[in-house]
Parts: sequence; C-alpha cells; structure tokens
Amino acid sequence: MSAAGIDPRLTGAQRYAAHAERPGMWHAAFVRSPHAHARVDRVDASAVPADCVALLPGDVEDLRRYGCQARDQRVLADVARHVGDVVAAVAAPTPAAAAAAARAIEVDYTELPAVFDAVEAVAPGAPLLHPTAAESAHEAVSIGVRPLPGTNVCHRFRIRHGDVATGFADADVVVQREFRTPSAAHAPMEPHATLAEWDGGRLTLTTGTQTPFNLRTDIAVAFGMAEEDVRVIAPPMGGSFGAKTFVRLEALVAALARKAGRPVKATLERTEEFVTLNRHPATIRVRLGARRDGTLVAKELDCWVDTGAYADCGPGVATKMGYAGVGPYRIPHVRVDALAIYTNLPPNGAFRGYGAMQSVWASERTMDALAEALDTSPLELRRKNLLRDGDAFATGEVMHDVHFEECLDAAARAVGYAENPRGAGLCVLLKGMQTPSRAAISVERTPIGYVVRSASCEMGQGVRESIRLMAAEQLGCEPGQVEVPDPDTDTSPYDTRTTSSRSTHMMGRALAEAVRDLRANGGERGYGEVVNEGGLDPDTGQGVASTHWHQGAAAARLSVDEETGRVAVEHVHGVAYAGRVVDRAGAELQNEGSMIMGLGTALFEAIDFASGQVTNANFSDYNVPSVGDLPTRFTHELIERDGAEPHGLGETVLPPVPAAIGNALHSLGIDVHELPMTPERVLEAIDRR
Amino acid sequence: MKAHLILNGRPLQYECEPTEMLLGVLQREGCTSARATCGLGVCGACTVLVDGVPVSGCLTLAAQAAGREVTTSEGVPGSDPVMQAFAAARAFQCGWCTPGFLLTVRALLDENPDPDDAEIAEALGGNLCRCGCYVKIADAVRAASRELRGAA
Repeated sequence: MSAAGIDPRLTGAQRYAAHAERPGMWHAAFVRSPHAHARVDRVDASAVPADCVALLPGDVEDLRRYGCQARDQRVLADVARHVGDVVAAVAAPTPAAAAAAARAIEVDYTELPAVFDAVEAVAPGAPLLHPTAAESAHEAVSIGVRPLPGTNVCHRFRIRHGDVATGFADADVVVQREFRTPSAAHAPMEPHATLAEWDGGRLTLTTGTQTPFNLRTDIAVAFGMAEEDVRVIAPPMGGSFGAKTFVRLEALVAALARKAGRPVKATLERTEEFVTLNRHPATIRVRLGARRDGTLVAKELDCWVDTGAYADCGPGVATKMGYAGVGPYRIPHVRVDALAIYTNLPPNGAFRGYGAMQSVWASERTMDALAEALDTSPLELRRKNLLRDGDAFATGEVMHDVHFEECLDAAARAVGYAENPRGAGLCVLLKGMQTPSRAAISVERTPIGYVVRSASCEMGQGVRESIRLMAAEQLGCEPGQVEVPDPDTDTSPYDTRTTSSRSTHMMGRALAEAVRDLRANGGERGYGEVVNEGGLDPDTGQGVASTHWHQGAAAARLSVDEETGRVAVEHVHGVAYAGRVVDRAGAELQNEGSMIMGLGTALFEAIDFASGQVTNANFSDYNVPSVGDLPTRFTHELIERDGAEPHGLGETVLPPVPAAIGNALHSLGIDVHELPMTPERVLEAIDRR
Repeated sequence: MKAHLILNGRPLQYECEPTEMLLGVLQREGCTSARATCGLGVCGACTVLVDGVPVSGCLTLAAQAAGREVTTSEGVPGSDPVMQAFAAARAFQCGWCTPGFLLTVRALLDENPDPDDAEIAEALGGNLCRCGCYVKIADAVRAASRELRGAA
C-alpha cells in the first residue's frame, strides 16, 4: 500500500519486472529462426558494432540442456525447432541499438522437414524432432514422464480402470465424437521481462515468474551451478495466466550478462510473445457408452496434445487433460490415452486450466451427444451419474468433499434450464490441484506487526492479499500490519510453484502451522510446511490425482443469427465451489476473469499458423475480450460451506464456458466440434443440420 | 528537436527525435504508469490525456504534444473520485492496464457525467484488461458518476 493507503496498482506506482533497472544495465535483443525446422550452419556476427556484445553458439557450448519435465532445451538452438526459436542474441546500451545489432547478425540454415499437427507428428514417416530427449525422463521432478523413444511422443499418460471392452459390450447406446482446440495466446498485458546480474559466481535473476524455485533448479542445471548460487527475485507480474513459468528468457539473459560482464535486461516485443509459450492445441476423440436408463458404463478418451517444439510442462498438461476428460462421473470402465507430442510450432505450456479446457470441451459436448441419442435431458443425464462422497474416481481415489451436483444445479437454475432447455447449455467439471506439492511459509514479528515470507507469486490473482488476510486473522492483528515481500529464493521458504489454483489453500494451511510454531516458541518467529503426497502411476493412471478437487459448472443461454452465424450469448453463469472465501472481491474477480477468458476461448481466440509462422501475432489480429464482448447477463456464484477449507478457484470457471456455449448451440441442432465457435463454423454446422 | 509541454501541472522541457512517440518521453521522465504493451495503439495501456483527451502514447508523436497539457496517472491524486471509486470497487487485478482505464474514465465523466451502460462500454472499448476486470470497472464508473453528480 502507498502512504496514501491506495494500492500502487491503482496509482500507477507499481513496478513490474518490465521496470527493473540496475546500474550499468544493457538491453538484449534476440535473433530468431525464420524457419520452423532447420539446422543452424553458421552464425556471422562480424557486422555487429564493436560496442555491442553478441551471444553466439561458441559462448554457450559449456551450458547444458534443461527443461522442467524433459531436458530438451538449449540456451541457443543449434537446431531451430520452431519459427522464432532463438539462435543468437545481443546486448547493447539501448534497446534500439540491441535491435539494430541483432538485425546485423547473419545466419545460414539448412531447412529440415517440419510437422505442424500432433496427429501427423505420430504418423509413420513424420520427422523426428528430439531423437535423444527420452534419455532425461528419469530426471523429471514431480511427475513420472513416459516418452516413447524413436517417436515424437515426449510423454504418454494412461488410465486403465476396469475393462472398456466389457463396459461397451454392456452399453445399449454408444456415441463417438472427435473434437479440436487451437493454440491460444495467454496475452498478459505485461510482456516477459528478465534482468540478469552476476556477482562473481553468483547469479541474480529479477524476472516475472510464477515458478521461482523451479526456475532456480533449471538455471542451475543449465549453467552447471549449485542451486544456492542462483537467486530468483519475482516482482508482481502484469498478468501471466501460465505464460511466465519455468525457463523462458532467463537462461538467455543470464548467458548474455555473463559474456557482457554487466547486468542485462530483456523485455519482449508483443510479436515475440506469440512465439514464446502458448496453449496446447488438442485433438480429442471420445467414445461414451450408457445403458438405456442413462447409467454410464464405459468411456474412452484419446488425446493428441501438441506440446510444440519443446516439452516444457506438456507431460503434466497431457496428464491433467487426460484425467479431467473423464469428468466428475461414476464410470466403471475407463480407458484414457493422452499423448504429449512434439511439433514444429512454438512451445506450448501452462495455460489457465492446464489442459482441462480442452478435455472438458470434448467430454461435456459428448455428454450432450449421448443425451440426444438417449432422448433424455442433458441435465438429468449428468445428475444421474455425478460422483458423490465415497465414490471412486477413474484413478481409484475415493472422492470426498464433493459438490458437483450443487454446482450443476446452481448453473442450470441461473439460466432457467429445466423450464426451457432450448438455446441453453450446461457443463460441470472437475479439475485437479497439482499433487504432489509442498508449501512452506515463515512469520516474523516486526516492530509494527509481522512479515510473512512466502514464495507465492502475485500476478493479479490476489495471493498476496489472501496471505495478508489469513495471516491477520490467525495472528490477531490488522491486515495493514502484515508485510508480504516479493518472493526471493534467498529468503522465501520453498514452495512448489504458483500454479494450479493452489496457493491460497496451501499457504493457508502452511500459515496455520507457522503460527502454531510461532506461538509455541516465544512469539518472535515461526515456520510451517505442508506436504501433499500423491500423484498418478503414468502407466495405469491409478493413485491420487488431486488431494483436493476444484469443482464448478457453467450454463449459457444464447441465440444465433442464422444468416451470419453470429452467436449472441445472452447469459452466462459460472459456479465455483469455494469452500471458504478468504477475499471476496478477489474471488469474484477470479471468477469473472476466468469466465471472460472462457468467452474468448469459446468464440474467437486462436493463434493462426501458416507453415509454422504465426500470422496474427498482434492485438489487432488476435483479439482478446474487451468490455463489449460481455453478454448482457454475466453472473456467477461462489458456493461456500461452514467450516470448509478454502478451495482454489483461479481457473475453475474458464473450462466450462466453451462447453456450455457449445451445448447451447447443440440444443438448436448446431453441432460445432472445433473451437473457436466462429460464425464460419456455426454456418457450416447449420448447413449440416 | 526541443519542445515543451505541461506534464501533470508542471512545465517540462524535453528533447526527442522527430519520429519519436510521446510514450518514450514520458517514460524518460519517470512516468512508468503508461506502459508499452501492444505497440499498435489498440490496447489502451499507454493511454495518457492530452488537453484532457485520451490518446495512445505509443501512437502520438512527442512533437504533437508540444505546448499541450499532458496528464498521466502520476498526476491524479489519491483523493480523486475516480481513483477512490476504483479502490472501493476493487476494479483491478494485476494493475498493468489500470492507469489507462483511470484516465479514460476521467475523460468520459468530464464529457458525459451520467453515462449509461452502452455509453460506458463504448468509451472503454479501447482499453483491454486481460485479467478481466470489466464488471468491477463498470461498477466503479457508475459509482464515480454518482459521486461526481452528487457533489456537483
């Protein structure tokens, strides 16, 4: 808070990584491959002015491959695997000088065959993008990675629950559908920005990141350093939504700073944002069987997940897409195969929802197809099969604290679904929280209150405010007396990362431990840590996918102009099970923000590619929702229960919005299987009706 | 070239290239509230007021601002009714776009003290918020409008 008591984000005084400065700092610019797949034969920096520093292949020979789930990335690409892959870099006294120097570097390439679609990338004869990446699978942390050597599959996730052959034999009705989702841009308003500074053998990175400790680990691996010699400071971000995770610019900027012998900072241009990290495109095939009375008996899900040129956290996304696609239902026989597949598109990674949007779209649209085949209500079909407390999910875990039916009923009620299902659509979902994970927090008394140190990173989701409110409540002081500094790996206790809508829940629990410790030990300082064990066997999908489930629903009511294909969403309603709301305004903003992003996903957001080149890499051609895109009625609710724990909800009501809209169109006989539901696709579906 | 303007009420002498945009000059003067974001003038995050009119700092030539009054959010006091309304409505998340919205809203209410929902939507159409604060921003506009009309 500023001296006047107004949040610096309102006064404009807030500083982000994009504003970071150090004395003597230079600016970076990047040389990027124009080819989607090409060997770098020669990099000629002879025309770079003498007062600039060029980072060339020879400068990074000593650096090692890195990556959070597969070690398939190099600091400079020796083989460019996507348009925009960085093959050289420069540092110069000003951004303009750096850009000019980068343009002066000439690169010779030998083009290689490229592939731009996940299904094509696993067909016979597809070019092999990472012949040796499979070697590092055993080093991945917090997930068992299963590459298929000799293919472009960097991870395959399976669920085998019951026996689907038996299940389908028992089904009276079977439907099968195929769905597609495109790549999308996180489009945070603040671009990626990183400042690197060396002091002897110690590196300090000031960077917009949601994953400070993971970043420290991967940088240490790349530079062959001890983790203690890498310091990551994470200022608040001007938005992220998953874009600012793991290593993005940090290794490049650190290498430039090492060569330049001075601090170096990089801030991406908006066009560069579109070749840095995007959302996983997916092709998903669903086969669903039920008895005549609507009881679900068997489900098969096949997901081809396009992770782009480098795996990043694609294995994790494919895993989550796979189990979220089962849906919050009791199904005795389930087979899921989700493949994270390399292609020559820019890398895809964590994107709000983390794979759930894609498989919820496919799964919930198929439920409506099944309801149609059974001539039953989509609402009643779901109600009949929803998981209840004590039921086993397809991973074998027993469900507890279950609220799916409440969420679904609230969504249906809001749009008057039961009274008038025509022009309306529903979606109910389950989404997991990163498991296993660990969160630690410390509390120290100060002359005016307390300082609480947590590695949870602020990106607008309001985690700092939630921690402040929970600490004030537990310590018995005013929120204004609680200081929550920026995450700093030198002084913040360890946290897995700020993703997966886990931070309020996990830090709240850790805080309770820390306050207990503080009170038991003289009241000056306390430390608390919580560890969630679990995870899934990647070969069977059995285990604990999530120690605590994110539960929600959405409903939409719309009309369609059948001449133009334009969809007019009249009402969208989102429901999130919140358990206990810590910061009400903050929780409302998360619901609203998730739903607005869901509207963009549903109706118009897609990155367009031509031979791997992004053709809409700007905010004029790639549209994010503006105020005029909101439907007339845009409502949501947070379901709470006395005595409940806070439930994460930073993502929950994004995935159900596209499915609810798609199901509303389906109720009108307009059957769209590919996102976004553009007027062209709607018209084509009307033609097919 | 050399020129002068009034920045947040105080005279400013500045130097710039003829082809340079106003945003660069303002950032050199320490106004970090106007932010380079889309590079095309479509997102509104670099919005500043020139003689009370919202413009994209990234598309306005620094020379065009010569002799004019330029307002950034650094020049808006905490007691300003629009700023207070945004605070009360919690009309922000990450805050990157917020200064641009604040200035656009001040200009809207100066010109139209009682905008209806359609007029609010049209006035704010040039400011993007990826965090999705539009509902609370519209709430803040209506609250500020009531406050300003009540005080008048």
